Amino acid sequence: MSTQYSILFKQEHAHDDAIWTAAWGKSEADGSETIVTGSLDDMVKVWKWSDEKLELQWTLEGHQLGVVSVDISHNGAIAASSSLDAHIRLWDLESGKQIKSMDAGPVDAWTVAFSPDSKYIATGSHLGKVNIFGVDSGKKEYSLDTRGKFILSIAYSPDGKYLASGAIDGIINIFDIATGKLLHTLEGHAMPIRSLTFSPDSQLLVTASDDGYIKIYDVQHANLAGTLSGHGSWVLSVAFSPDDTHFVSSSSDKSVKVWDAGSRACINTFFDHQDQVWSVKYNSTGSKIISAGDDRAIHIYDCPM
Amino acid sequence: MASFGWKRKVGEKVSKSAVQQFEAEAEKAVDDGPSQDPEVDWLHAIKRRREILLEDCAAKSKRLKEEGALLAEHGRHWEAIKKWDEAIQLTPDNPLLYEMKSQVLTILQEVFPAVKAAEMAVKFRPLWWEGWRTLGRAQLNLGEVDLAVRSFQIAIHQCPSERTLWQEDLTWAWRLQKQQTATKEKIRQEEETQKEILNAPELNQDYDFESDEVLAACVAVAERQTRYEELKRTAVIIDAEGNVKNVLTGEEGSADSATPSKEEFVKARGL
Repeated sequence: MSTQYSILFKQEHAHDDAIWTAAWGKSEADGSETIVTGSLDDMVKVWKWSDEKLELQWTLEGHQLGVVSVDISHNGAIAASSSLDAHIRLWDLESGKQIKSMDAGPVDAWTVAFSPDSKYIATGSHLGKVNIFGVDSGKKEYSLDTRGKFILSIAYSPDGKYLASGAIDGIINIFDIATGKLLHTLEGHAMPIRSLTFSPDSQLLVTASDDGYIKIYDVQHANLAGTLSGHGSWVLSVAFSPDDTHFVSSSSDKSVKVWDAGSRACINTFFDHQDQVWSVKYNSTGSKIISAGDDRAIHIYDCPM
Repeated sequence: MASFGWKRKVGEKVSKSAVQQFEAEAEKAVDDGPSQDPEVDWLHAIKRRREILLEDCAAKSKRLKEEGALLAEHGRHWEAIKKWDEAIQLTPDNPLLYEMKSQVLTILQEVFPAVKAAEMAVKFRPLWWEGWRTLGRAQLNLGEVDLAVRSFQIAIHQCPSERTLWQEDLTWAWRLQKQQTATKEKIRQEEETQKEILNAPELNQDYDFESDEVLAACVAVAERQTRYEELKRTAVIIDAEGNVKNVLTGEEGSADSATPSKEEFVKARGL
């Protein structure tokens, strides 16, 4: 257990080109920690995190035109990835084999997110619809319509009640999953929202935008609870810590910042990347942070607990 | 204790009367200094001038940029580039100038300078999808299909809602990339077969000349030779819709390629 924030591990040249996305999962079966990264070089790579270092386990080929988003199911068995050629692929993390490939139709796959029960995958589309695919069926099950613009970011609330989407015009929509109704439409930012995340208790929603701000919303009342500034450029990714009190953000200003959700203050800034940092995530306990970006490097940071 | 000071030094080399005269004049100048001309601040004049100069550069560059844009609109492309080059001299880190220059250079078919200019634009402003699109288009003109696809990918990743990027730029470049890959694959196959003919794996083995193995090896060699002939006759054809096909070019193509020719068979046996 460390008492201060520090960089723990660097994997230089993890891909042949910019890394656009990363995910951190934990296997329910054997407790092993898996990291999945997706890159402009069309590859999805699966890494094992053990003994404080990364070990490449699989290099998954098949995507074309760059991997935009990856996610790991909550039991740590399956990874989902999406690419610019609008295909969503499901991979078995144990064997490294492709389970399914789904064609989402032209330009209809961006961020992918597993539902809390891992039975569905949600992805945004250019027409402002959130398409929900069945993991077992491999088909589109239903869709939620925001009647808005291109949806860049998607997040399920951990309690399974809500789904939030962030659009390219800065509009945030929150759906009730049970009824499929649109609960709230928030005019949060005036610029694209590239990432959003719920707190583990599903009470707060944190959004990141190209306007350089991070906003915190109270989900139930759809109130703006705070606006955070500190990044000097686009905020590209946000992720909430499982401890429910911290969240982390990354930006094209090359920095990774850790924030305290209560005081809304930045408590640590990492300036270790050489280029834009596209993705940042916590591990399952909140003791580590992963970040990856245009410099093709994966960084792992230690967090005080 | 030795002390430094130029008064003392001056005193050594300069005559006393000269020093006295200088000091008296200096005092006089200090006395009526401020009242002389309050408008001219000689002490800060140089600093201030630099500021004025900086402002001037930005304003002048903007004017030149607009003049260039106007010229470009009227088809006077080279003159436009000249204006923008002047503007770049004044503000060398303005990405807009490079990006516009690249577009016009592309029109003028100056493909390499166009790529160079667009590269500068994305270097100074990496989060600008229009810059990446211009770079992609310039790279495509240069024939660098792979690089162009990559630039369009980055542009789309930054601004996926821009439909023209998908429909025009990426789709087109991606199709070209596939066609190029198909052509390269064919050339590779052809070269590999040729290499195998010259260096047949069957020849590395000792044979019992009475057995059927020899015959089998000869047939294998002959078949490879006909395959090579056939490969040479086929060509990668890209039809009007952009589909990639392998087509036999010779009219008599398939008829005699089905059976190994007698001549080649004898030749193989001779080895």
